[in-house]
Amino acid sequence: MKFTRRMTLAAFAGMLAIGTAVPAYAADLVAIITPSHDNPFFKAEAEGADAKAKALGYDTLVLVHDDDASKQSELIDTAIGRGAKAIILDNAGADATVAAVQKAKDAGIPSFLIDREINASGVAMAQIVSNNYQGAQLGAQEFVKLMGEKGAYVELVGKESDTNAGIRSKGYHDVIDDYPDLKMVAQQSANWSQTEAYSKMESILQANPDIKGVISGNDTMAMGAIAALQAAGKKDVIVVGFDGSNDVRDSIKAGGIKATVLQPAYAQAQMAVEQADAFIKNGTKPKEEKQLMDCVLITPDNASKLETFALTD
Amino acid sequence: MPQNSIRLSFAVVALLALAACKVLPTGTTPGGDKPAAFDPDAAVAEMWDGKVLPYLEAKAGPFAEVEKVARADPAAAGAKYGNVNKQANSPWTYAATIEGKIVAANTQSRAATIDVDVDGDDKADARVQIGPAIRGTALRDVLDFVDFNSFTNQIDYAQFGKAFNMHVNKTVLGTLPRDALEGRTAKVLGAFAASGGTDLPLATPAEIEIGPKP
Repeated sequence: MKFTRRMTLAAFAGMLAIGTAVPAYAADLVAIITPSHDNPFFKAEAEGADAKAKALGYDTLVLVHDDDASKQSELIDTAIGRGAKAIILDNAGADATVAAVQKAKDAGIPSFLIDREINASGVAMAQIVSNNYQGAQLGAQEFVKLMGEKGAYVELVGKESDTNAGIRSKGYHDVIDDYPDLKMVAQQSANWSQTEAYSKMESILQANPDIKGVISGNDTMAMGAIAALQAAGKKDVIVVGFDGSNDVRDSIKAGGIKATVLQPAYAQAQMAVEQADAFIKNGTKPKEEKQLMDCVLITPDNASKLETFALTD
Repeated sequence: MPQNSIRLSFAVVALLALAACKVLPTGTTPGGDKPAAFDPDAAVAEMWDGKVLPYLEAKAGPFAEVEKVARADPAAAGAKYGNVNKQANSPWTYAATIEGKIVAANTQSRAATIDVDVDGDDKADARVQIGPAIRGTALRDVLDFVDFNSFTNQIDYAQFGKAFNMHVNKTVLGTLPRDALEGRTAKVLGAFAASGGTDLPLATPAEIEIGPKP
């Protein structure tokens, strides 16, 4: 199955490679590569970048790597083959991605990274990421407050190859571990996945029926956790997420999940395209490679202002 | 012929993909291209007396003055009392001295705070964190010689921020009195981030003195 999928992909990449023989088009091309759009966060990113690129007069090539580093490498080849002028990339692994971005750079194509960092400087043209630590601290402070500074809790962690999983966990613990009466009874990775979070939460609950809270590294896992909790009749367990998705917004408004942290995903993707545009048109490089964007706490107070990873005023 | 070349590139790409699949370890770094492990606590301890305190002493303005300038022109206040090289999307962080009377204290929470009246109207003007739980990274963010781009990633940068709070906890806050704080005087050298909300500005001390019971 896995093999068949790879073969299909390879065939697809092969076809695209042959497609390069076709004469160039009028508009310049910008490649937009993200994880799967199944997660609305990545979808919003891709749409934000796509809309901005089109508004600036570019053709776009929107691709997903499904958090598979070898697939990402093939997609970078595709972008190079198609003569993209810039690559907007939410990458598939902080270490594994360095070579792929270097390959694009060697081919003269700058990469503008969003959302996730890579463990190298001077390879990408820009790395625009949410201040995940600041955001995690906001989420954890609210979690601590909601928990009354005590009780048993569970942490759901994201995908290990993604720096953001580690940084959010670190941000959570830098706050929560200052409260000795808050006891973590389980810490498991659900790989950013809603279905995985649901099944992990089910088994965690069997071993720890008396937990009071769940802090999750992202919103999709928070959605999985709250579904499992509600199915088990645990309606009072405090769940806090991270991302600021519309699903979690609706859950907050309905009294389910208690809080999340908004990452300005849409604006971030647009900013990356603007920086790519400045480089393509004028050769202007971003002032700094690494750029941080602050996150915002979302609670019942401001949830109604949240729409597609942006706050309306 | 095109059929053949499709098949060929097919096979090559497929082989590459499969090969890549095998050699990609997750969570490990091949080769020795990473710098030695970063020790944030040692880094903070080393720069504290020689760089951090002199910087704060030179930059800080009296709290009321900083607040006034910041309200009128946040960027001008940032340039004068803070870190001009801050991240564009982050709030300004200002260095300030906060001197006045403690009008309220919350020592029930582990994120304990004192509310200080600096202008003598008996109303709180600033909230100062006295630990042991300290929020935010104001002490790191106010320093114009700390640049996010010089860190390997956000994790190192974050640990560095936390290390300032730990350092203050260890060297300054651990010995502070915790009881009957209201009515005593407080003298603080620290930093606070601009906040748009209605909450009091939340300052993190680098140095703090609390006077005797009145």
